[in-house]
Amino acid sequence: MTDAELIEKLKADLGDQVEIANPARRRIFLKVAPQRLVAVTTRLRDAFGVVFLSTISGVDMGETFEILYHFSTPETDFNLRTEIPKGDPHVPSITPIIPGAILYEREVQEMFGLTVDNIPDGRRLLLSDDWPDGQYPLRKDWKHVRPAEVIPGGKS
Amino acid sequence: MKVQIPIGPQHPALKEPISLRMTVDGEVITDADIRLGYNHRGVEKVAEGRNYIQNLYLTERICGICSHSHSTCFAQGVEKLMELTPPKRGMYIRYLVSELERVHSHLLWLGVAGHEAGFDSFFMYVWRDREIVMDLLEMISGNRVHYAINTIGGVRRDLDAGQVATILEGIATLKKRSEYYLRIGATEPSFVARIAGVGFLPLERAIALCAVGPTARASGWPRDVRKEDPYAVYDELDFEVATADTCDVLGRVVVRVKEVLESYKICEQILKTLPPGDIACKAPRKAMPGEVVSRYEAPRGENIHYIKANGTDKPERLKVRAPTLGNYPATVEMLKKGFIADIPLIFAAIDPCICCAERAVTLVSSRTGEESVVRMSDLRRRALARTDNAPVKGNAVWPF
Repeated sequence: MTDAELIEKLKADLGDQVEIANPARRRIFLKVAPQRLVAVTTRLRDAFGVVFLSTISGVDMGETFEILYHFSTPETDFNLRTEIPKGDPHVPSITPIIPGAILYEREVQEMFGLTVDNIPDGRRLLLSDDWPDGQYPLRKDWKHVRPAEVIPGGKS
Repeated sequence: MKVQIPIGPQHPALKEPISLRMTVDGEVITDADIRLGYNHRGVEKVAEGRNYIQNLYLTERICGICSHSHSTCFAQGVEKLMELTPPKRGMYIRYLVSELERVHSHLLWLGVAGHEAGFDSFFMYVWRDREIVMDLLEMISGNRVHYAINTIGGVRRDLDAGQVATILEGIATLKKRSEYYLRIGATEPSFVARIAGVGFLPLERAIALCAVGPTARASGWPRDVRKEDPYAVYDELDFEVATADTCDVLGRVVVRVKEVLESYKICEQILKTLPPGDIACKAPRKAMPGEVVSRYEAPRGENIHYIKANGTDKPERLKVRAPTLGNYPATVEMLKKGFIADIPLIFAAIDPCICCAERAVTLVSSRTGEESVVRMSDLRRRALARTDNAPVKGNAVWPF
């Protein structure tokens, strides 16, 4: 099935829940509201056979976070895009639908400081246990400051 | 009685830092937990502060085995953002290095798998032959590990006729030896007995947990980015996607050796049809605002880079997903109900697998602490039921 045929099918199926863009061959971008994310993902899985999630990307857009879910099937790639406000960053978990999403959700949660609602396992994945709260490395306003070197026993 | 055993982050059986918490019941693992981040270097954050050409060398340093994969994935994404059409000769050389890298990575894995299974002569034979492909890569690029052959818009070094002849000669030797390894790896009885049935991952779990690369293909899921989303030169080349349906370490060995044989085929096609012309085109310093999703089939599976440009010479965002991360949820699945003794075979080979023999059935009573008197006949019935239910060892079919 070509991209154009798939887009027709998507439009007929999902209607105005999504905004569809197709900037290149095999790259379909769907924009969806965060409240509709779970419903659209379920529909994509059941009707279009989208079972494989490559990864979840987060982008700090200033006032908002853009979260992209990169799915692919043998026919094409679906990139599901949703935007959430930085002031109240909540995104629903898709792990109940795609079990392989768990690590990517944990990663995006700790790196951007957003809350993935209903995540089955919300522990830290990459950051260390003594990482200070409220520090989210991939936000644009976060800058790395190298801590002062401490020599045990002091300098001699 | 349940005991939790920490393995790692620093452990003699592991070649890289990862922390595994195994909940064991006797010899059987009942639960596994993975803790990552001991090698987290913040590459994605660093990339936001560097320009595209610097990032090319940064991404090359994400991995030490498949270094070319990340730099190629990044370069082909940036070329799309800059709307460049790199010359064909450059592309052929770039993907020749890709395939040679796949050969060296798979031979490395094969050797390690042999070593962990206690088949050290196999390991030494394979690693001896891996030197052939390492020498070829050194001849092409000047380096053994970080080839640094990519540039945005093509490659940095050309091939001459003498080099082409040497590569063809090396590939002919490797081809002969790899066929021998396929025979050994798939039929040598003691080796097969050790790896068959270990690390069972059924197809539906592989799909649900989004496994990638040889791990997915060994469970009978024929997904390969080179075939389904042919980038650059792959739509002009003739090759097959290697699969196996044993869903265990044996299947992964077979898939990898078959893939190596396909890679030789690809290399020969590339070298025999190497077009004349330039090897690189001039790339601008800045990229127009836009975004691109770049996918690449690395030796370990699908590699994906998401690059967002903002009109300057630095990317707004670079998201990297290396294939091993995609395989961790499947790894946890494979560890459950496996044996402690299988952990090194699995993790040292970066292909996490654990035996799937259904032993937990007899251990349930010990876990609840109930003292129950079991008659001999009852025990025998349970043992028979276990053998029948076990999808592994007993029923594992040899592919030859």
